[in-house]
This record gives sequence, structure tokens and C-alpha cells, in this order.
Amino acid sequence: MSQGRDVYGDYATLPVPQTELRSSLNIFMVYMGVLAVVAAIFAGSGLAQMYDLKTTIVVSLIGNILLAIFGGLIAYIGGSTRANTYMLLRYPLGRIGAAIGSLIVSALPLIIWFAVETWLFAITVNVIYPGHPLTTIVASSIWGGILMMTTAYIGYKALAILSYITVPFWYTLIVIGFAASVDLNGGFDALWRVGPSAIAPIGIGITYVFGLYASGCVITSDVSRYGVKKWSGSVAWALHVAIFMTALLFAGAAMTLLTGAPNVIVAIAQIGLGVGALLLAILGQWTTNDNNLWSAALAWINITGKLSKRVWVLITGIIGTAISALWGGLWGMSLDPFITFGVLLGNFIPPVGAVLIADYYIVSRYLVKREYRFTPGSKISLLNIPGIISVFIGGFTGWAATTYGYHLPTGVGVADSIILSFLLYLLLATIMHKLNIKFEVGEKVISEIGI
Amino acid sequence: MSGTLNVKRFALSSLYLMLIFGIITILLGYMSGNYRGLYLSLTLGLIILITTIVYIPLIHKRRDDDVKSIAVPSLQALWIATSMALGYVVTAYAPYFNMPMAIATALFVIGFIVLIYGIYAMLKISKVSGVPLAV
Repeated sequence: MSQGRDVYGDYATLPVPQTELRSSLNIFMVYMGVLAVVAAIFAGSGLAQMYDLKTTIVVSLIGNILLAIFGGLIAYIGGSTRANTYMLLRYPLGRIGAAIGSLIVSALPLIIWFAVETWLFAITVNVIYPGHPLTTIVASSIWGGILMMTTAYIGYKALAILSYITVPFWYTLIVIGFAASVDLNGGFDALWRVGPSAIAPIGIGITYVFGLYASGCVITSDVSRYGVKKWSGSVAWALHVAIFMTALLFAGAAMTLLTGAPNVIVAIAQIGLGVGALLLAILGQWTTNDNNLWSAALAWINITGKLSKRVWVLITGIIGTAISALWGGLWGMSLDPFITFGVLLGNFIPPVGAVLIADYYIVSRYLVKREYRFTPGSKISLLNIPGIISVFIGGFTGWAATTYGYHLPTGVGVADSIILSFLLYLLLATIMHKLNIKFEVGEKVISEIGI
Repeated sequence: MSGTLNVKRFALSSLYLMLIFGIITILLGYMSGNYRGLYLSLTLGLIILITTIVYIPLIHKRRDDDVKSIAVPSLQALWIATSMALGYVVTAYAPYFNMPMAIATALFVIGFIVLIYGIYAMLKISKVSGVPLAV
């Protein structure tokens, strides 16, 4: 059987061939590059409002281990099938459902987050080096956006090379900046003595940590499909999130408790490392945002079946850069409307992951006994009815729990929506299968180009 | 660099060079005369030291004619060392570390050499072995 022709680039619609597989370290570096963003440290600030440092470590570790399991399970599907997220969704959601799922998971939200992070990048550059024409928010958004588009335009090889350059340096400099900041503010002894007046229940913190990156878990297959071993992506994902995300949250919480602010970039600039701070801001944001753009482009190809990855990178990158430079920079307007929309979509992303896990590990293996196939000639359904129902009910439940404060089993929207979608999909698929009701509607044969 | 034996020798020589620079960095830290400079040098030097100590035996174990399996770990180790070199270059002269000018300059120069040589070695190994840089 033909392996198909990669007409879109980066195997956007086809399984990654054996010759293109990369080492486990490569996969680890790319994940680490995505995590290497100042926002991850800022998130630690939220924990500092609730806990002392010892509890922060416990809470972060438990939350991140849960993320390691959730993301690791999805990464393994990518590693086994060599398919990206949007191809995988053809099974639990069907071809049309996968298009809707791809819109929710990447195509729309990642453009928004690209714009927001480009804007944050511009603000950081402007704070570090104010008063220069190239460091205004408009100018920084434009050149920053172009930088981020460049690696995404070239493709996975460029994303990986940039991650190799950035990751060891970025994390080491963050450690140095953090240690210097602690040193200048009373030392490590003082660090362990500070804490909020009241400690929040541990469950709140765990679900807060889980909610930070649950959406990221769903698109782990975009990278893990390149892993030389089936488990490369799972192990890389689990290690990076359990160890390094815990460390970044700890650093953010510690700096907030000690200095009142988690801004490690500013702290690094204050100790005389102006160039280092600038490089941290540029490289960190770059390795995160080029992945956003790249994944969004893969999603758009799978939705439309038209235009190459490079064209989609340019389209989505220009839109995101324009939002940052014009809306946020030139007109000085808040990006809150975009962020609100991104957060709303974010309610539906984890349920997509839950349904994918339920379908791959249970329904496909034990109920309908099929394998995920993406080579030309393979057949997929147009719509998987239990999948679509489970994603939307799970997403709405998560949204309602978060918005109206409903007390569901775990108390926090993301976890509730994952559990509900997972169980609902299993229940609906099993009942329909036992009653001989076809739960997958229509049929589509995958073409030579993977669509 | 046409023979396969040369790839192994070149990769090992490059990593031994990095190992020496790692050791020199740590020694410079002890000579800096203050704890900030010492910790900075220890952080930078130990990462290179540990990386090379882990990777050199791995490369030694590979068959001389198995160019690809020599190139993969070599490139991985060189990436880490080269990325760390950026750390040398941007931190050496920072006032916070309060290092004597001679030691700061030595660190800066080491960083610069590691950066340039690392890029050169990676390009050469990648070209000869056919293993992509983004290994």
C-alpha cells in the first residue's frame, strides 16, 4: 500500500515515515522549548497566593504528574500511529467531527495565543530596552512575529534546532536569575519562612496546576509522532512536565513570596544581565510561539485540505502579528476579548483529549477491534456521534462549572469535563454498539495525499 | 574527514575539548574570590562536565564504522555544550557576579570558543555522517 505523497509539508496529513524519525532527546527538547516561556513562571504566582513553598512543591508535583499521565497517554497515540492530533481525531470524532475538533483544539485558539504571546514578548522587550524605535510595542511585535514565523515556516527541523539552541541556556539562565533574585532579597533562609496567612485546600492548587496545561496535553502528538520509539513522546512529555514545570512554578511562587512579583526577566535585567534578559525573552517566547503557529497550520490543512503548511503559517502568523501590533500596540486596546474567547474555547479542548484516549485505548481495542490507519485507501467515518456529543457536553459542563461555580465531583471545570467526556463516550459507544446502532456515520476513503 | 574512524576520533576530540573547558570553568570559579562567581562557574562548568562525562563513554562504545550511531550522541552532547556557551557570553561581565576582570574575560573567551567550535563541529559531523543537525 502506498505511503502517500506529502504535498502539504511536515507530514500534515500522513504518518511520519521511518526515515524522518528523531531521537527521544529531540522530542524532549521541543517540549522543553514550548514550556520555556515566562508565562509558566508567572503561573507560579497564583500558587504563592494560596500556599507556602513546601506546599507549593507538593501541589505542583501532584498536578504535574496528572498532566504527565494525561499528556503521556495522548503522546503515545501519536508515537504509535505516527499521526498528528488532527489526523487522530478522525477516529473518535469522524472526518467532519475532526474538522470541528481541530478548529477548537488548535486552528482558532493557537492564533489567539500566538497574538497574545507576541504582544507579551513586545511588552517585555519594551520594558527591558525602552526608548528605542525598534523596541516599541508595534515594532517589537512585528519583528518578533516575523522571527516566530520563520522557524514555523521552515518546519519541524527548524523548531527542533531552535529548541536545541535555546533550552539548556534558557533554563540555566532562569536558575541563575532566580538564585540571584533570592540572594538579593534575603537568601534561601528567608525563602522558606515566607508564606500567605492562610493555606488553601490542596485540591484547589492541584486542579489549578492541572488546568494550566491540560489543553497543551491534547496536542502532544504533533511532536511525539516524530519520536524514534513509540514511547519517546510519552517519556519526554512526562519528564518535562513533572520536573521542569514543577521547577518553573516553584520559581514563580518563590519570587512572588519573596519580592512580590514573579518577573524573573526583570530580575535578570536588574543584576546587570540586560543582554541575557533580552535573549531569554526572545528565545523563550520564540520556541513557544513558533510551535503554536506550526500546530495551527497543521490543523488548518486538515480542516480545509487546501494550501501548504508554509502558506498557512504565513496566513495565521500575519493575523496574529497584526492583532499584537495594531490592536495591542498601535491602538493600545486590551487583548481581553481575544483572551476571553481563547479561554472559552479552552473549555472544550481537554474533552477532545479525553474522548481520544477513550477511543484509542478502550473502544477501538476492545469494542470495535480496529487499528488507527492513515495510509491512502484507509476508511474513516464522517461523524462519530458519541464522540461529538461527549466533547460538547463535557466542554459545556466544564464551562458551566467554571463560570457559575457548580460543585461537580472534582470542583474544577477542566478535570470534571475530562472525566465526564471520557465516561460519556465509553457509555454511549458501548450502548450503541451493543444495540447494533451504528455510532459512526458515513464513510470516507483517505486519498493519496492523506485527506 | 572521509574515513569513518575519523568521525569517531573527531567527535571524541571535540568532546574532550569541551570537557577541558568545563574543568577550567570550575577552576576559574574558585579563583573568582566570591561565592557568586563560584556558583556561576560551577553551574556553567558542571553542566558541560556532566554532559561530556555521560556522552564520551557512549561514543567510545560505538563501532568505529557505525558513523550514524556515533554522530547522534555526539551532536546531542555538542548541542548542550554550545547552548551553554551562550550562558558564558551573557553572564561573564554582569556586575552582580563581581568577578575580577581577568577571570570574567577568560570566561567570556571560553564561551566564545565553545560557541564557535561547537557550531563548527556539529556542522562537520552532520555533513560527514548525514545525520541531521536537529538529531
